[in-house]
Amino acid sequence: MSVLLQQLANGVIQGALIALIALGYTMVYGIIQLINFAHGEVFMVASYGGLATFTLLPDDLKKSPAVALPLMFVGGIVVAVLVAVIMERFAYRPLRNAPRLAPLITALGVSVFLQEAVRVWYPNATSNLPYPKVFPEGGLTLGSVNIAWTGVLLVGLSVGLSIILQTYINKSRMGRAMRATAQDPDTAKLMGVNPDRVIVLTFIFGAVLAGVAGVMFGGYLNNINIDMGFQNGIFAFTAAVLGGVGSIRGAVIGAFIIGLIKTLAGQYMPGGTQYDYVWIFVVLILVLVFRPQGLFGEPERVRA
Amino acid sequence: MSTSTVSTPATTTPVEKRSALAPLGKPFAAAGGVLGIVAALLPWVTFSLNDGNWPDKSTLQFFDAPFAVTGFRWHVLLLGVLILVAAFAPTPSKGRVVRALGWGLTLVSFVNVAYITVKGGGLGAITALDGATAFGGIVGLVAGVLAILAGYGIGIEPVGEWKFKVSTPVAYLVLLVSFAAVLYAVAAMLTTGGVGTSNPYSGAIFLSFLGFAAGVLGALSGVGFIRWLSALSEQHRVFSVIVLAACALLLPFTEAGNEYWMTVAANIGIYAATAIGLNIVVGLAGLLDLGYVAFMGIGALVAANFSGAATAHFGITLPFPVAAAAAAIVAGIFGAIVGSPTLRVRGDYLAIVTLAFGEIFTRSAQNNIGGITNGSNAIPGIPPLSLFGNEFNKSITLGAVKLPAGVLYYILIVLLVAATMAVFANLKFSRIGRAWIAIREDEDAARAMGIRTGKMKILAFLIGATLAGLAGAVFAHKNGTVSYESFKFLESVTLLAAVILGGMGSIPGAVLGAALLFVLPEKLRDFEDYRLMIFGLALILIMRFRPVGLIPDAHRRAEMIERADENAEEAHVEAKKA
Repeated sequence: MSVLLQQLANGVIQGALIALIALGYTMVYGIIQLINFAHGEVFMVASYGGLATFTLLPDDLKKSPAVALPLMFVGGIVVAVLVAVIMERFAYRPLRNAPRLAPLITALGVSVFLQEAVRVWYPNATSNLPYPKVFPEGGLTLGSVNIAWTGVLLVGLSVGLSIILQTYINKSRMGRAMRATAQDPDTAKLMGVNPDRVIVLTFIFGAVLAGVAGVMFGGYLNNINIDMGFQNGIFAFTAAVLGGVGSIRGAVIGAFIIGLIKTLAGQYMPGGTQYDYVWIFVVLILVLVFRPQGLFGEPERVRA
Repeated sequence: MSTSTVSTPATTTPVEKRSALAPLGKPFAAAGGVLGIVAALLPWVTFSLNDGNWPDKSTLQFFDAPFAVTGFRWHVLLLGVLILVAAFAPTPSKGRVVRALGWGLTLVSFVNVAYITVKGGGLGAITALDGATAFGGIVGLVAGVLAILAGYGIGIEPVGEWKFKVSTPVAYLVLLVSFAAVLYAVAAMLTTGGVGTSNPYSGAIFLSFLGFAAGVLGALSGVGFIRWLSALSEQHRVFSVIVLAACALLLPFTEAGNEYWMTVAANIGIYAATAIGLNIVVGLAGLLDLGYVAFMGIGALVAANFSGAATAHFGITLPFPVAAAAAAIVAGIFGAIVGSPTLRVRGDYLAIVTLAFGEIFTRSAQNNIGGITNGSNAIPGIPPLSLFGNEFNKSITLGAVKLPAGVLYYILIVLLVAATMAVFANLKFSRIGRAWIAIREDEDAARAMGIRTGKMKILAFLIGATLAGLAGAVFAHKNGTVSYESFKFLESVTLLAAVILGGMGSIPGAVLGAALLFVLPEKLRDFEDYRLMIFGLALILIMRFRPVGLIPDAHRRAEMIERADENAEEAHVEAKKA
């Protein structure tokens, strides 16, 4: 029983991390129907951006977490946003009207490029890099279940930011423009919405969340490596599909489900943690085959 | 929406915009051509580099060996002359040709200048230093840029169209000469800059050669020759395949006939065969498969387990043809399974399903599922193939000629590629192929026309996977080791890139794409670290600037160009409204 509870807690934390990334996938897909494969790498780059920020700080600031930690978040987010904006402007925007395969392959190219760029240019990026210990240490003990403070922080940030995002999209003027563009870009344009601005903004929102996720990933697991982007990106994409691509609420709930599947399958399914990855893909395939619109998505429009 | 009839692009092209460069076209071309010739005769570097003289004598001793194909100054001279000829002879689509040649000149000059500058430690190496002057590189760059501008000045017209027909013997002759030229170019490409790491400048020499080849190919394509040739070879399909196979079999007798290049060429062949299989799924049926290399992995694993290797799971040793057939069948069955979601899933979602299957394969193989993959220890010691007592990895003597080691593998793989090509070509022009193309264009319309779309899509996956499984079986014996590491996501992306780079749905395209993507890393060992980064960047750039690929399929090209024109017209109308 205590094992189950512990795994449930771990699953929720994993889910919170995945949710932050999944929101970027779901928003971009909702607006321009692009599976932005490179989004996982934006998350990875943000993690390295946070680490680089810490490395560049003067020694006395490194010792005070109250200053260092927010600066790391800022550094990670700035790097992620820069990468995302450049990527949108120079890789995706020229292909807005191209056949659907083209942007998808471009996204694969961007993903390979970003991963390699970090591997070649970041010092020692070929091995796991330790993340600085500026995060609150220790944790919360509830009965037999231990939850690290970083885990609590991660869940709090994830849920908080997704609520803010949801509110922004539902209530603000720009949010309305985003929804309009997602529904019908041409009509939205006629109503005075500038699609380029809306799309860039979508990428920026996704990158900010990925930036937070990147830094928190380092804080929670203490290690980062260049493969983290691809793996977590796939998990996040699965979550977005499970929840229904385009739906904010769906992505978050899907992410928690994926997190739970990962930890519970690792504990209870045959093969253990070596196969937890496989179960996520099995779920992905089953969802796509039997409920392609996901849990909260609208039924798929027929596309040529 | 495009229709299936191929209309001539010329009729739909909107009015050409006159460029501000227009009056400067001819003068610029003349200047570019002359300067190109001058550049070829000027010295390029002021001193000997650390690793010896810059290739083919960077001083005026160039005429020692003027006809060496690898000499970059010979290339510069040729490009300069061609620019003059193209600009002042009645050339179809003149602007396009001059622009392509200009790009070739620029690339050749840039590669050489950049390398000399970096290796020589500064701009002194290419300007004036210690009394020596060497302005060849800078003049070459200027000439190249002038020629590109001249191309725009003359005007970029649609690719020239050659309407005249030729009799069969003449067509055969043209094809024979063209394919022999291709063979010569391939051998030159492989041997340029020496084998492996023997020459310190090999990477740069190769890149320079590639720049030259790109310029010449661009010019040939601009003038309409490539399109005419591909139409001709499609007309005389059987003859072309035979000549092409014969040319490929002659490669061991050229400069490239050594063990190193036989091995590399055999590896390229294996990936080319796999890429052709993928081309059926992606190029013909339009189903994006991101986990395709898994089928090759399955084939390799099956063959490895029946090969009699020490760590094979089954104690049975099957003769290679039987094992290969088993590998193909098992891979085909998995192909059908992976393809079955296509009944319900479309487009991007299907790509994700195939990606998921691919990842499941990698993860399972890594964890030694069922004891058949041997996990991260791989299955080593797979015996090489042998025929009449000749082991395939040893050299053989044929009469008086001693052929390099690995030549038998090379021949086997050439036959494999020829077979997959034949399968692909026959399918493409059959009822099934037309059904696939119809599905690719518009699935609902295809269904309305009575095509059983579900069955057809699964068939595409099945056949593609079978071919990959066969290639995998050869791969297992050729390399002697099968590890899950060779069948990861990145390999799938590389194969996909090969198909796209070459041109989707086109057979020579898939081979060319595979060759480029697998030769480049061999050639560019200097840039080993940047290999994948360049690869990622290349994917982005291809999609941006030439999404149809290097050798586009005629049908698909028509479709893309029409669509582009439609878009242009729409933009035009919108601009008028505003």
